[in-house]
Amino acid sequence: MEFLATGQEMSLQEKLGILTDAAKYDVACTSSGVERKGNGNSIGNCIKSGICHSFSSDGRCISLLKILFTNECIYDCKYCQNRCSNDVPRATFTPEEVCTLTMEFYRRNYIEGLFLSSGIVKNPTFTMELIYRTIWLLRNQYRFNGYIHVKAIPGADGELIRHMGYLVDRMSVNLELPTAEGLKNLAPNKHRKNILTPMRQIQNEIHSNRNDLVIYRNAPRFVGGGQATQMIIGATPENDYQILNVAESLYRKFELKRVFYSAFVNVNEDAGLPSPPGGPPLLREHRLYQADWLLRFYGFRAEELLDETRPFFNVMLDPKEDWAVRHLEYFPVEINRAPYEELLRIPGVGVKSAKRIVAARRSANLAFADLKKLGVVMKRAVYFITCNGRMMYPIKLEEDYIVRNLTTDKDRIRFGSDGMTYKQMSLFDDGNFTMPVNPQEKLQTAIGQL
Amino acid sequence: MIVYQCEDSPEGIFTAIYNAYEEKRNHNDTVISLTDELFLFAEYIKVPTDAEKAVKVMRTLERRFGEEDYLKVCFALTSEEKDKAQAVYQTVVHGLAGNVGRGHLFDNLACDAVHRAFALGRRASRECHQMQEFLRFQELEGNILYAKIGPENNILTFLMPHFADRFPIENFMIFDDNRGLLALHPAGRPWYLVRDSESPELAEKFGLSDKEREYQELFRYFCRKIAIKERKNLELQRNMLPLRFRDNMAEFEKFS
Repeated sequence: MEFLATGQEMSLQEKLGILTDAAKYDVACTSSGVERKGNGNSIGNCIKSGICHSFSSDGRCISLLKILFTNECIYDCKYCQNRCSNDVPRATFTPEEVCTLTMEFYRRNYIEGLFLSSGIVKNPTFTMELIYRTIWLLRNQYRFNGYIHVKAIPGADGELIRHMGYLVDRMSVNLELPTAEGLKNLAPNKHRKNILTPMRQIQNEIHSNRNDLVIYRNAPRFVGGGQATQMIIGATPENDYQILNVAESLYRKFELKRVFYSAFVNVNEDAGLPSPPGGPPLLREHRLYQADWLLRFYGFRAEELLDETRPFFNVMLDPKEDWAVRHLEYFPVEINRAPYEELLRIPGVGVKSAKRIVAARRSANLAFADLKKLGVVMKRAVYFITCNGRMMYPIKLEEDYIVRNLTTDKDRIRFGSDGMTYKQMSLFDDGNFTMPVNPQEKLQTAIGQL
Repeated sequence: MIVYQCEDSPEGIFTAIYNAYEEKRNHNDTVISLTDELFLFAEYIKVPTDAEKAVKVMRTLERRFGEEDYLKVCFALTSEEKDKAQAVYQTVVHGLAGNVGRGHLFDNLACDAVHRAFALGRRASRECHQMQEFLRFQELEGNILYAKIGPENNILTFLMPHFADRFPIENFMIFDDNRGLLALHPAGRPWYLVRDSESPELAEKFGLSDKEREYQELFRYFCRKIAIKERKNLELQRNMLPLRFRDNMAEFEKFS
């Protein structure tokens, strides 16, 4: 009861500070995957694409109110700043505080919903009950209809997880580390089996719920946004190939929606942990996410991208470029004829641009100038494609030559020499930077005032 | 060459398109213009906006090209670019003549007009989505939520259904600062628009509620705390959240 007494003295702001700080290393801050209309008498809806409401100074999106219920914890995981052997300020919300914060933030359009995780108080089931009580209150008393993501706590009672699933949109169980061995070294209180059990349970519940929904259209949905997980990259000596294989089997065998990778940040200075010299391994994390996308949307398999002999990603090339230069026998690909699956494998062509190519070539023969309009990144694609049987420039299909061109700016083919230019697509432009001539200028030209 | 000069509104442009078809013009030699721009050897026709004709065109577009592409056309027309009318007109001509079918209006991106209309529409719908993200309500006295936005495109009408669906039991209003448009949503009733409004004064008259400053401070604190300082990356933040939105956002310093 001691911590409860101190908890009451603390202001809401202090608590929010401590419990946000404690939750910030959790990566899954997405609000996508569920489409739910408002019901007319309560607050909230969900949008399929998800909505990011803000971006923090590390460039990560703030979509959900990401907090821990409490940072009290009985576990002693070496990588975690909330481990019981750390002397950090501790705080615990009351369910009402969490609900009020969520509602008030949501009304002001600050957030898309709530992400609630927790340190382990007493035992997993007790902790899960605390979370359940909070979410129940938020859904039923505060009538919140927006997005909720909670962590399922490994080792908690199965019945509790089942009930929880009907209240929330996404559940995730943290895998923490890619292999069981790593887990044993760094998180002595956690076991691989305990983590996979709730994961499997959620998967099975989603399946049976899907069958219910076919019969009863208005049956409550179980974890409509699917389940996710996350693992820490760089705290243990696994290579990228192992990690990617783990991710692939999670997608295949557990039907996860997302696997998140979190570059290891050393907060504890523990002897059992590496301290990466260049800060967190952000590039490695980035390459893993790129490969993750290739697995989920581009039809690649883990063993195509990496293998035992080359277990790490190339630092200079992204995984798709890397695959392409090693498989030049598939290239060049003819834009006007190649099937969708082959288009997807060209570096510089994404899902959207591949779809646009397929749609556009029905009515017109595509030339290089058109490809830019369709959103193809020419500076990458140019080495791998032909339009009407011709390449854009005389290019040797040779691994060394292409790698050199892809990685160095100096040797690059001079674009723009024949009036064609490329530019990097960014999120906020239309590829149209030239100033249009306005009517006034036209008038001036016509009457000779220029 | 025939130049139709019409009002800068979706209805005006749809009416002009209707007239171009009704008068059986050669579409390659016809321009819909929103300005007093002069062309050589052109014949100018002023088009008075006609709601009935506009509705006919809208229905045809929706029937022939499907709801999704019709929405893209509407988004393209919210743009402030002056060539939007011509781009949409030529796109519609392209679609009707080519008999492209539902959901395929914007397939042929190799065509300049189609690409232009597509780009304008994409830009506007992207901004609409960004507004759903970055709009911030402030609570005024009397439990009214108020937000000010300054979008490039005239997207307020596309924004309101989202918030009306999300906050059906709230009184809220959104003010488009660039156009003097105010959208009002009384709790439990349909929303409506007020033109040429002077709502900033309205907001000052009401004043912020007691709790408002407190929650703004809490959120600001939350945003600061959630960042991992080892991963600091202001450029990425700026790419994802351009500076122009930040004036109206509670968590940034420029907010007044």
